[in-house]
Amino acid sequence: MAGSARRRVDGRRRRTLALAATMAAAAALLAACGGGGSGKPTLVWYINPDPTLPADFQGTFGQPGIAERCSTDAYTIETQTLPTSATDQRVQLLRRLAAQDPSIDLMSLDPVFTAEFAAAGYLEAFPADVTDSLSQGVLKGAVEGASWDDSLVVAPLWANTQVLWYRKSMAKAAGLDMSQPVTWNQIIDAAAKEGGKVGVQANKYEGYVVWINALVTSAGGEIVTNTSQGNDATVDIGSEAGVKAAAVIKKLADSSAAEADLSVSNEGTVLPPLVDPGGFMVNWTFAYNNYVPDKKTLADLGWARYPQTVAGQESRPPIGGINIGVSKYSAHPDLALKAVQCITSQDEQVQYAVETANMPAREGAYQDPALKKQFPPDLLKLWLSSIDTAGPRPASPYWSTIVDATLNQWHPASSVDPSTTPQDSASFIEQALHGDVLI
Amino acid sequence: MKQRLGPSTILGGVLILVWCLLPIAWIFSLSLKPVAETTTGSPQFLPKSATWDNYSTVFQDHDFQRALINSFGISLIATVLSVMIATLCAYAIARLEFKGKRAVLSIALAIAMFPVVSLVGPLFDMWTTFHLFDTWPGLIIPYMSFTLPLAIWTLSAFFREIPWEMEQAAQVDGATAWQAFRKVIVPLAAPGVFTAAILTFFFAWNDFVFGISLTSTTAARPVPAQLAFFVGPDPFNPPSSQLATAAVMVTIPIIVIVLLFQRKIVAGLTSGAVKG
Amino acid sequence: MATATTTAPTATPAAPARESDRLRGENRLGWKLVAPAVVVMLVVTAYPMLRALYLSLFQYRLTAPDDRQFVGLGNYLTILTDSLWWKDIGNTLFIMVVTVAVELVIGFAFAMVMHRIIFARGVIRTSILIPYGIITVVSAFAWQFAFSLNNGFVNGWLPFVGSDFNWFGSHWPSLFAICVSEIWKTTPFMSLLLLAGLAQVSEDMLEAAKVDGATWWQRLYKVILPNMRAAIMVAVLFRALDAFRIFDNIYIMTRGAQNTESASFLTYRQVITQFELGMGSALSVLLFLSVLVIAFILVKIFGVDLAAARQEG
Repeated sequence: MAGSARRRVDGRRRRTLALAATMAAAAALLAACGGGGSGKPTLVWYINPDPTLPADFQGTFGQPGIAERCSTDAYTIETQTLPTSATDQRVQLLRRLAAQDPSIDLMSLDPVFTAEFAAAGYLEAFPADVTDSLSQGVLKGAVEGASWDDSLVVAPLWANTQVLWYRKSMAKAAGLDMSQPVTWNQIIDAAAKEGGKVGVQANKYEGYVVWINALVTSAGGEIVTNTSQGNDATVDIGSEAGVKAAAVIKKLADSSAAEADLSVSNEGTVLPPLVDPGGFMVNWTFAYNNYVPDKKTLADLGWARYPQTVAGQESRPPIGGINIGVSKYSAHPDLALKAVQCITSQDEQVQYAVETANMPAREGAYQDPALKKQFPPDLLKLWLSSIDTAGPRPASPYWSTIVDATLNQWHPASSVDPSTTPQDSASFIEQALHGDVLI
Repeated sequence: MKQRLGPSTILGGVLILVWCLLPIAWIFSLSLKPVAETTTGSPQFLPKSATWDNYSTVFQDHDFQRALINSFGISLIATVLSVMIATLCAYAIARLEFKGKRAVLSIALAIAMFPVVSLVGPLFDMWTTFHLFDTWPGLIIPYMSFTLPLAIWTLSAFFREIPWEMEQAAQVDGATAWQAFRKVIVPLAAPGVFTAAILTFFFAWNDFVFGISLTSTTAARPVPAQLAFFVGPDPFNPPSSQLATAAVMVTIPIIVIVLLFQRKIVAGLTSGAVKG
Repeated sequence: MATATTTAPTATPAAPARESDRLRGENRLGWKLVAPAVVVMLVVTAYPMLRALYLSLFQYRLTAPDDRQFVGLGNYLTILTDSLWWKDIGNTLFIMVVTVAVELVIGFAFAMVMHRIIFARGVIRTSILIPYGIITVVSAFAWQFAFSLNNGFVNGWLPFVGSDFNWFGSHWPSLFAICVSEIWKTTPFMSLLLLAGLAQVSEDMLEAAKVDGATWWQRLYKVILPNMRAAIMVAVLFRALDAFRIFDNIYIMTRGAQNTESASFLTYRQVITQFELGMGSALSVLLFLSVLVIAFILVKIFGVDLAAARQEG
């Protein structure tokens, strides 16, 4: 009895092992499929989603197009698309990098997460000559956003900034002189008076902190400083600048110019210039392409520098964009370094900008005829100067913690109180950085 | 069986239909709205101008195709394995006396109510060590673990309703326990096993937590996770109508299964009452 | 599977010995049959849970492994003294109680209708299986769009809400929308389990009660409900613990905005988006303990040992 029982147990163990082996084999098989069987190495580039594909576009669009053109006889570049939101992109990439996954070679990174990736040691360092070719002639704001600890850690591909988009007819009716810088108070009052709206991004997501940061930096402050100290950074959002930022948010939230979906608004939901009676909105450069097909709206569409928080004090527009990082765990770091130089070359930046309205990071690209043909010259000039004088978000490895802690206190916009929110959020962010509160 | 058909019953029947089908009609209607219509806001129930464009767009979406294949493959494999194991276990629980039966039931109960989210951290850790992160087996294994309690409970409920006198009769006639199990019980239990399989498949097909936590590419990302990350043609515009289209497309298999096997599922669930 | 053969003992001459042999054989067969299930269930839960218990004693961020530091029960202390944890637990319990209560009532009504209706039986049963089988994420999207400001029909259909009412703009309306999606999707599950219970109530007993002059309510309370006790218990227990783990609907519909976060969502954020494995593991352990407490309370309320109840049938 006992003997046969043992045999049966052994039989089961063998089957269990066989099952495990089958699963392991299946896993290996799936992993192998990603690598490509031929001798020519494949570089896998994780990209953020590109904007809308124009209806009449021919060929390969956006970053997959760059990948196609930058593939050589020595390697092929393949793309993998990441989720839409920057926060989700970060999570997907960090999870793989934490697992030391060799299947990532290149990745499109939002500047605000660069510090975290660099501090964690997930980015392959650039040799000096590569650094030179990647940063020469690149706009200052873009280089700053691509650096950590005084060295370039990712390669700027394109730079993004926000401007004020508005209906010329409404600004005129409200008596606003748009040739001069305007303040948030002015546009909120103007929109309220004319029955229009002011569109911002105030959902509970990173984009809302972009707005808060722009308001704070435009008032001469910062959310945090000394970010190289990691979680011992100094939290400054409780300062006078923070109070002024809170006052603007409060004014809009209480105004009839606020969109009904203010608390869930994002870059795609803000509508004011698009739907009647129109209004104002702050949004990134690619918003322009949304208006190109609509000739009637386009004729009435105006653009101006990002609004001021404090009258007379020059605004510091948000800066964004995408930089290319090379994974520390890439199986082909040398090839990836070659590829990154092609991907971020001026020609590619120009073509990408023409296709997507995501503006080049290289200053020289703005002189390119193809770009000048595609966009109005004064708009190009506005973008260029906005990027050059932007107010970047703090580069901190703990940025995602800071974002969550800020949102915890500043969302929804209607709950913001200038007399308490900035102070309260300052101490809350500090506690969050030290792991003393849940966020 | 006697049934009375009062007006309240008829009204109830209509209400059930409205309850179940209205949201389905809604996403279907939304899926027919052109993207341009939802971009500027389209709060009415029916589309202003219906179009099938979204269907061709979504169907050609490579990532979405992969997600469909992943979901089908992973859910089917998990279902087959889980139901096979659960059948053995449920038979033992319903039929045999052995030490530790309560322990087994307690484990199943504990797993059934386990807060799945508490596992994603350590599982992520384990799976990256074993190279199971972002692979099919990496999802099949947790799906099996978490569908087993449901399958065991459903099956043991069925097995208790089976006329076991027949098995005893077979054993008296000289059949072994195993032979009695295979020859007499399996045919009787088949409808129950089938029901358990469908419930298990629905569970695996529905999973979201593991799907977003244990995958990171289209190599294994299942449909629910792909929907959450769905990228329309304009990444900054929530593609309501296209998401609705994708939602309708992943609901079609469910409707097909339900249409084909409705009788079996419900008859299976209520079989205990219709005993001879 | 097919190799697990010939284990039950064949006839032996002496009757008592045969009995004990039989028992031993049955014992062995029992364990052989349950072993694979037990192994598979434990492999994905027991070890990870022990690891979570261990990691919960550290301050440990996955992206800053060098900063890992032992903090003892510090994480638990932080969580239990934090208002966010209690707010999220409050949300979770609110959703659990409201959805299960509503589902029990609607589900029972649906079960009664399905039990009685003769015509269109197939159509109704097919329809009710659709929400049951549908992906929760799809349900969440469908209702999110339905309640959405720009593309939702709800504001237009409800007479007492303005056309520019933002359901996701404040706490209670957001929570309401989440509950609607949860209730819509899971009521069929409840009603099918109750239907199974209802089918076990003997028609003869009902007829007898009717002959004795019992009213509809009396028959419901004296005959139907007591006879359905096991089915109701199983349905409520499963649904309550399922609702306590609510995650999908919240993730899709609000992402936790407007204080609609659940305990599961909080844990997910700590582990997956913050990469705070220490704090996240402590939350995992607490979440597990909460579930145990709720299960214990529910079983106490019903006053029946569940495992025993299942065995009796």
